Amino acid sequence: MRRIIAQTRKELTQIVRDWRTLLLAIILPLILLMLLGNAISLSVTDMPMVVQDLDDSPSSRQLIDAFRSSLTLRVVTWPTDKQPVEALSTNTARAVLIIPTHFERDLKRGVDSPVQMIVDAADANTARLTTGYANQIIAAHNRVTNPGAIQPPVRAAIRLWYNPDRSSKKFYGPGIFVLALSIFPPLLAALAMAKEEDQKTILQVFVSNIPASEFLFGKVLAFMVVALGEAAVMMVLLFTMFDLRFAGDPTPFLVATILYAFCVASFGTMVGATISNQAAAMQAVALGGFLFVFLLSGLIYPIENIPASIRWLSNFIWGRYYIEVVRDAFLQGGGWPAVWYKTLIIGVIGVVFFFLAWVNKHRMQLKS
Amino acid sequence: MIRQLLKKLSGSRVSALFRKELHQIRRDRRLAMSLIVPPVLQLTLFGFALSAKVENIQLGVVDESQTKESRDLIAVLTESKSFESAGYFFSVERLTDAISKGSIVAGVVIPQDFARDIQRGRPTTVQFLLNATNANSAAISQGYAEAVIRSYNARLRSEGIQPVFRRMAEVDQGPGGQVTLHPAFLYNPGLKDSWFITTGVLGLLLILNSSIVASGAMVKEREAGTIEQLLMSPAGTTEIIVAKILPLFLLLSFMMFIAIFMIKTVFGVPFHGGLLPVVGGGALCVLAGIGIGTAVATFSKSAQQALLTGFFINPPMVSLSGALNPVEAMPKWLQPLVVINPIHHFGVIARGSMLKGSGLDTLWPNFLALSIITLVLLSLSVWRFRNQLS
Repeated sequence: MRRIIAQTRKELTQIVRDWRTLLLAIILPLILLMLLGNAISLSVTDMPMVVQDLDDSPSSRQLIDAFRSSLTLRVVTWPTDKQPVEALSTNTARAVLIIPTHFERDLKRGVDSPVQMIVDAADANTARLTTGYANQIIAAHNRVTNPGAIQPPVRAAIRLWYNPDRSSKKFYGPGIFVLALSIFPPLLAALAMAKEEDQKTILQVFVSNIPASEFLFGKVLAFMVVALGEAAVMMVLLFTMFDLRFAGDPTPFLVATILYAFCVASFGTMVGATISNQAAAMQAVALGGFLFVFLLSGLIYPIENIPASIRWLSNFIWGRYYIEVVRDAFLQGGGWPAVWYKTLIIGVIGVVFFFLAWVNKHRMQLKS
Repeated sequence: MIRQLLKKLSGSRVSALFRKELHQIRRDRRLAMSLIVPPVLQLTLFGFALSAKVENIQLGVVDESQTKESRDLIAVLTESKSFESAGYFFSVERLTDAISKGSIVAGVVIPQDFARDIQRGRPTTVQFLLNATNANSAAISQGYAEAVIRSYNARLRSEGIQPVFRRMAEVDQGPGGQVTLHPAFLYNPGLKDSWFITTGVLGLLLILNSSIVASGAMVKEREAGTIEQLLMSPAGTTEIIVAKILPLFLLLSFMMFIAIFMIKTVFGVPFHGGLLPVVGGGALCVLAGIGIGTAVATFSKSAQQALLTGFFINPPMVSLSGALNPVEAMPKWLQPLVVINPIHHFGVIARGSMLKGSGLDTLWPNFLALSIITLVLLSLSVWRFRNQLS
């Protein structure tokens, strides 16, 4: 035990003395959370839209006012002598609403009057959202202007749970929290491990009386401390800037965080133990930590959308389980019944990483 | 005349250095790998894995009505690709439990008097419960639910439910027409997410890989100590720099063509505006990436430090580029920052040219901005490099 703690203290001292790694350990996760948590979002607001009103009647102006008062779409002016579709190709607008002539006459006669919306679908997701919003605006407009008309027999009352204002910050904030924890602690761990080998200081360890398991565990413990420190600092940001609160029992989150710290620290140590070149070890962590956790864990886009041929990979991505635990803790509040097995899997993956690192180093000899 | 020029060129110091660099690169197998593997891997992963479409939403059903009408509604809901039935629940409590556990994403509750209300011509309400943790999916599923109910209503009318309502309506007010929306999707009628993602990832890939390869190549001389030999050679600093950048540029352009070829064949993105604007913008991106990489290398003593510095620069640059998500979705105070981001400008050029078929007349501001950024980055790196040499 004493040897493990000595190893951990040595590791932590090394980190504190190197300003580059210290910055990387503390400041960068915060910057990442602040920037990415705010910037990554798919729900657009304030989308520019051009209206071509061929009818120019009180009714058509009323419809335009309905669009003008929405938060999602913003009506921008467009010179009448130019084709409205040009607004899409020059990126000044993302949608064009065309109100046909005889719009008001048709409405008064009791005939359904179509309006056309041309949407810039280069970004397919935004296009889907835009038409959804436009449909909602028009439905509300119909209800207001025409209360006596044929009411639809069935109405949908839609309740949005856990995130009623559909704030994307609350969804992506926890995700980026996980991403930062998946990159920086393993990166530092891999560098520290590869450095020992690179600079041959590992020989001193080999000739000492410390067994491989204690040596590795001391290292892992040091980077667990780093990871938990980062988590604590980022939590402050989550509570203040992202306005998140625990939705239910926080104990699953706490247990999972400690296990995840162990998991990522072991991952880094394993990579460092296998690849002794510092630059190459760093690239391996970047691939595992960033690319896989970013893409295959449901961080931005749902996992179900990944084609089945690569979706099975996400079952092995440690970050995926932790993201689900964190989102549950902050948004859904399902507690232990919902996440116990995910917490368990995080621990199991961590043990596997630690074991692999041990297999690589247990003989305590230089590679021949 | 030209032959003379060529002869002069081939005998010059620049060309000698150029050939030296080419040989070095050719013998470095890892570098050659890093030119082909990352673009292919990143494009396929990003292009296939990042999709925001919402399909097969797992829908739990509580049917308190248990009538032909309610079963009709459930059939209409689940026959579309949007919702998929995840089973029936006996009570609302069971349904909400399942939603909070995350085994289903959405639930629908059909009230007991659903069929009776419809037959009597009274409006009735069906409740949808959506897990809105993912804001984007929630917004889209909300749209789907409303659309399904709309089409169910239309069906009821055609089945003769309408007269009841029309009579009711005629009592208090004359009939009025409804406004209906007919959306048309321009530029990407199939609503393929991969078209948006791959055109954005192309710029990201060009800048990031160029900067990594360039910083690796630049820092190598310093790490190996061979920079002394360069300093002793009769070549001037400009010649050294040109000879260093040129082969990298050629190699990375080769990578660009691989990536463009993949986008065309694997993802089927159309090239409405021709190849030229994309290749031109891509070449500028490669140069900008080389500029970033060289500048980073001059601040670092080893390849490891250069890579670490990359961690400070790349994530913010990627996240504030609009390559993976629309710029309009960023907070207002971050939006102006995209003006100095080369990935953003290339994204606009690539999407404008490939998907919309726009030409220089609309894309010139982005080309101008991209050129200025590239010029600034390159001169910064040349200035730093020259300081180092002398």
